[in-house]
Amino acid sequence: MRALYIALKDLKMRLRDRNTLVMMLLLPVGMTAIIGFAFGGESGISTVEFLLVAPEEGGFLAEAAAGLLSHHELFDVERATEEEARRAVAAGEKSAAVVIPEGLLDSVLTGAPAEVRVLLDPASNIKAGIVQSMIEQFISYLSAGSAVGRGVFETLDRAEPLGDSEHLALWGWMFMWMRDAWTEPPVSLDTSTTDTDDLNVHAYFAPGFAVLFLLFTMLASAKTIHEERESGTYERLMAAPLSKTSIIAGKMTGSYVLAAIQILTLIALGGLLFGIKWGSHPGATIIMALVTAAGATSLAMLIAAAARTGRQTDSVGTAIILVMSLMGGSMWPIEQAPEAFQRFGRFTFNYWAHSGFKKLVFDDAGLAGITQEISIICAMSAVFVVVAVLLLSRRRI
Amino acid sequence: MSGEPVIKVRNLVKRYGELVAVNAVSFEVAKGEIFGLLGPNGAGKTTTISILSCITPPTSGSAMVSGIDVVTDSLTARSKIGVVPQEIALYPTLSARDNLMFWGRMYGLPDRTLTRRVDELLSIVQLSDRASSRIDTFSGGMKRRINIAAGLLHRPDVLFLDEPTVGIDPQTRRNILDLIKELNAEGLTILYTTHYLEEAEFLCDRVGIMDEGKMIAVGTRDELTESIGATGVIAVRADGLNDALIDWLAALPAVSKVARSEDGLTLNVVRGADLLPTVVEKLAGSGVDIHSLDVTVPNLESVFLHLTGRRLDEEHDEKS
Repeated sequence: MRALYIALKDLKMRLRDRNTLVMMLLLPVGMTAIIGFAFGGESGISTVEFLLVAPEEGGFLAEAAAGLLSHHELFDVERATEEEARRAVAAGEKSAAVVIPEGLLDSVLTGAPAEVRVLLDPASNIKAGIVQSMIEQFISYLSAGSAVGRGVFETLDRAEPLGDSEHLALWGWMFMWMRDAWTEPPVSLDTSTTDTDDLNVHAYFAPGFAVLFLLFTMLASAKTIHEERESGTYERLMAAPLSKTSIIAGKMTGSYVLAAIQILTLIALGGLLFGIKWGSHPGATIIMALVTAAGATSLAMLIAAAARTGRQTDSVGTAIILVMSLMGGSMWPIEQAPEAFQRFGRFTFNYWAHSGFKKLVFDDAGLAGITQEISIICAMSAVFVVVAVLLLSRRRI
Repeated sequence: MSGEPVIKVRNLVKRYGELVAVNAVSFEVAKGEIFGLLGPNGAGKTTTISILSCITPPTSGSAMVSGIDVVTDSLTARSKIGVVPQEIALYPTLSARDNLMFWGRMYGLPDRTLTRRVDELLSIVQLSDRASSRIDTFSGGMKRRINIAAGLLHRPDVLFLDEPTVGIDPQTRRNILDLIKELNAEGLTILYTTHYLEEAEFLCDRVGIMDEGKMIAVGTRDELTESIGATGVIAVRADGLNDALIDWLAALPAVSKVARSEDGLTLNVVRGADLLPTVVEKLAGSGVDIHSLDVTVPNLESVFLHLTGRRLDEEHDEKS
């Protein structure tokens, strides 16, 4: 009961503190807005503009390719020369440009090797990534169409040689088939880049910044262990008839409730301000939020328990949080990092928290879909709490 | 010391590695007494109070409060003790009432009882009108008063006050000392640590002088000054003095020496203040015309100087 009073007192003090409220809500919402706009503009990406560079002689296939690409509702394609395209992408005016080489038509018809180049603006990496992904898909259809077409023509030619006009008509049919197969594939992989609702850039960054600032809020809350000692209130608590375990339990409970309030409020604000759809399984979202709150609380408590002073908690804790957030993808799309980097990121709490929220938002996962994330965060939390309690019990706080 | 001891300390030792912070300290405090622990910074006063408050375990020795061992039964002992730390051990962003309610709950007081007690204490420390104000809006003296009130919520048998007047102005200090006197008058036993001589002399029934972890003397002020043979001086400026009177004064048991001066005489006495009425009555009754009387009383500074060879405030003077 006394632990509960300590928790309530801490909670009351934290919620009255303007700095805490700024850290809890204003900063994560602000950062999500700023970074979201910087990476993607509007809250949802409705179209991706890119330039198409096609040679004069390869007009037929270039036109066909432009037609194919333009057919997708996500793309807004403009024609340009290669020089114009390079300049526009370098200046950040366009996210990407696709350069179709001379002789692409011959390559498709004969199977000779050809290379389609994609120029990407690194500052607009989400849109550029979408273009890259779609062009890769387009090329795979083109290659498949070429192989199938050449096989069909060879078979037909063996039976009865076809004229040029018949070849042209048949290739026209082939491209229509490719267009249909590309835009409405018979077998599809459900990826986040094919549904405009899923392309809410804020939905990608909001969980990351929520986790980042959750950790900072928890660090400030855990630091009160040292503040109590430095101000003399810890001495008074120790002089009262209650155990050290009650004091530690009270501090942890207060921090955890604060964390839960913060993450649930940020989820609500994400929906209200940025139109983020947190999936269609509210139970799973709430459980993910509460587990994330537990992870952040226990990690911050461990940092405070290992530190000797409030100041050390601040400096060491800030460094740990920033490194973990960078490695775990709380501050940038870690999917674009090399595989080895991503592997290291998996050792961080941030990675699993962000991964769980991404699955809820982008894959509409239910509780079963985020079992791995929840299990790993729970295991991490248990280890953090045990070590923190051992450290706090062994020495005078 | 008279009355039943509420605090019993026997050969208390606290070591921090090589450092002996408290070295075989023993003393007793009677019920209803104000006992002062006097000594310079680093003398071991706060460590002693910290052991008695069950915050720091002793290396050896025993300490009992209200008959309860503070080491083996610390949870029970803590409920008998009120602690007022040297720092303002309050939460600055909470109101005075919220702070007191919180600390009362830490002692397991039920809400109804606690609310009444908080009102009562706010009235005692004369801050009822500021009950809802945040502590960080209070003056230093007001914070000190709430700090003391927080130690009284559970009606402890004994109140430990660890230098509660450090860093406050003289007027506020006086108010706090008066408050402590009032609490003691209501029967509360008080253990008071200080390095201010005048506070110890003003407040304490008995004083334990500590230096370098050791208790070097215990007693009332008079007992301590007598123990080192320190005398007071009564200087009289008067006309009409004669040898018969001087012989009469010299024969008094408390007078150790009488000396004539140009305009009167000087008496070296053991208890100057106690003897003063007798001297005045005799001189006036003998037709002596008294112009002035000046009494110089030996104090605890003399005792500390005698026992340690240093002035009590030497360290502070050097630091300042």
